Amino acid sequence: MADWFTLAAVFLLLSIAVALVRCWRGPGPVERIMAAQLAGTGVIGVAVVLGAARRDAAMLDAALIGTLLAAVAVTAFARSAARPGDRPDGSG
Amino acid sequence: MTGAFDIILCLMILGAAGIALFVRDALAAIAFFIAFGNLLGLAWLGLDAVNVALAEIALGAGVTGVLLILARARLLALGDDATCADTSAWLRAGALAACAGFVLLLAAAVLSIPPESGLDRAVAPLMPGLGIENRVTGVLLAFRAYDTLLESFVLLGALVAVWSLAPAGVWPGRPADLGVADVPMRRVARSFGRFLLPVALVMAAYLVWAGSDVPGGAFQAGTVLAGGLMVSAIGGAIGLPRSDLPGLRVALVLGPLVFLLIGLAGMGFGGFLVYPEGSAKAAILAIEYSLFLSIGATLALLVAGPNVIGWPDPAGGTDRHSDC
Repeated sequence: MADWFTLAAVFLLLSIAVALVRCWRGPGPVERIMAAQLAGTGVIGVAVVLGAARRDAAMLDAALIGTLLAAVAVTAFARSAARPGDRPDGSG
Repeated sequence: MTGAFDIILCLMILGAAGIALFVRDALAAIAFFIAFGNLLGLAWLGLDAVNVALAEIALGAGVTGVLLILARARLLALGDDATCADTSAWLRAGALAACAGFVLLLAAAVLSIPPESGLDRAVAPLMPGLGIENRVTGVLLAFRAYDTLLESFVLLGALVAVWSLAPAGVWPGRPADLGVADVPMRRVARSFGRFLLPVALVMAAYLVWAGSDVPGGAFQAGTVLAGGLMVSAIGGAIGLPRSDLPGLRVALVLGPLVFLLIGLAGMGFGGFLVYPEGSAKAAILAIEYSLFLSIGATLALLVAGPNVIGWPDPAGGTDRHSDC
């Protein structure tokens, strides 16, 4: 069973890598931050899967903290995105 | 399979660190710094060092990422384009050589530690006397409590240093408003802040309590509280307090002060920071709960920055620390 969890963790890691490629290429600030958020979601998934594989409930706490603080980062970005170019629809 | 996981994770950590260093766009660098912190947290989880993983994900990726995002926004607002300037090749080569030398020294130091010399075996027999299970908390709050006490004062000192950057004439005052200017966005952010702050408070209180027996603790919990306070401040659900507010001052010094008083009370039981037999857990929890409130308030105010608005301030604002 733990092997399947590890396999899932590897798959999730690879999906994080793809999200990071999007984050690198951009092109705009919104794409970068959304890709970073997607990578963060992947990291939370890996933490949950690792916790299941090793039967360690404390790893779920790490996933919870990641979830809470990812919301803070994206809120801080949305606050600073008052310039027209940063809005997805460009309406500013 | 575990080997494949470890290798892919290591490559991704190195790649994320490299891109964060070499990319020209400030926001891309910040995004990769956050991703780097999260991946590093995963590496600590993989090593079964969950206490460190919690701190890395909360502080390294979470609050530092928010700090960088807000710093970029502030730079843009001040007219700086927030891109990295060209530096001379000699400076780059010198920095590379210095960093490489430091990494080599660090690697030599780590590799020279014998594998069987961990603190674990020294600490394990002492734990039953404390009444808690988490050995990291045992070391931080009992066996090496002196370090943690000084650390809590360092954090307070950092806030005093940031506050001292306030320009003349705005003291006592409040930091720049973090709130969103755009009205529809502000409504969304406000209801989100109202939702997140109680959740963060519950999560943080749980982390302190859990920290006695499983990974957790006051620093991680304080970071989660600071995250909730920041989202609420960005949404305008709470206002940033004036720096001379008595309640705020109490919230900031409560943790270090309780720690110091309990430490001094220990003089009656055999020495500074010695806890009375049988009630060590109560003393540790009292210190941790007061520390977590102070750390949360301090971190949130560190992110908010120095005062820029003097009083009298027509906006009024609510006292967000009335619950502390």
